[in-house]
Amino acid sequence: MAELGHPYKLQLGVQEFMAEAPASPGGGSHESGEQSPRSNVREQDRYLPIANISRIMKKALPANGKIAKDAKETVQECVSEFISFITSEASDKCQKEKRKTINGDDLLWAMATLGFEDYIDPLKVYLNRYREMEGDTKGNPKGGDGSAKKDVTGLQMGHNSQAHLMVPMQGTE
Amino acid sequence: MRQPGIYSEMLSGGISGKTGPHSLPLARIKKIMKKSGDDVKMISGEAPILFSKACELFIEEITVRSWMKTLQGKRRTLHKEDVARAVIETDIFDFLVDVVSDSKISCDKIRATSS
Repeated sequence: MAELGHPYKLQLGVQEFMAEAPASPGGGSHESGEQSPRSNVREQDRYLPIANISRIMKKALPANGKIAKDAKETVQECVSEFISFITSEASDKCQKEKRKTINGDDLLWAMATLGFEDYIDPLKVYLNRYREMEGDTKGNPKGGDGSAKKDVTGLQMGHNSQAHLMVPMQGTE
Repeated sequence: MRQPGIYSEMLSGGISGKTGPHSLPLARIKKIMKKSGDDVKMISGEAPILFSKACELFIEEITVRSWMKTLQGKRRTLHKEDVARAVIETDIFDFLVDVVSDSKISCDKIRATSS
């Protein structure tokens, strides 16, 4: 809701993202300098912070591994594309099922459908872990609406029988 | 202080402390989700939380795959071209081909050099 008044609000999705990405002032192929290859006008709306991304990338590399700035920026763009890709698939499913809220199950389903089934188990573990912590510290889950709470139970059940979550995939195209 | 492992960030209060227990900011994730399409209006509270971890897994995977390309080139610095090669050679990253093959890098060139 914080996006109210945003000129791009819900209007230009992936197309806008991709159309602007190649707008490069430099054009060199090994730009590791300070010049960003993107217009930074809407950067904070379109990408996750590069510092966070950089930290996660470094963690995945050996200690002597270095990462060029252009690689970080590319991964930054890829992550936004990943979020949009999964969200669009989950959103389509919600529309077909005439539901308005995209929930955790929809995202897990979308990831499994799009080839990211390896992420499902760690994500379920993460979510369960998170809920336990939330339960410990606050006494109730943080979910903003009813449907979120509903899928809390759904996912916890799914924790022990991994195939459980994927059942609603019938009739998918 | 931080131990490597699935829960390390959660248990130590996040990477920077600013993002809560998650390593990526949830509000930003939500914004990007909403930009994914006109139909994306309501998002459950858990969706961005799930994405914060999913993005972490995604970043790790794409980084490791890219790093293998770096090593193949006998280098120690991961460059954009390595990411591009990893994307092109990984089926589930097909949706990223347009992102990595912008004006700077020719897809065909990468294919030619990596094969």
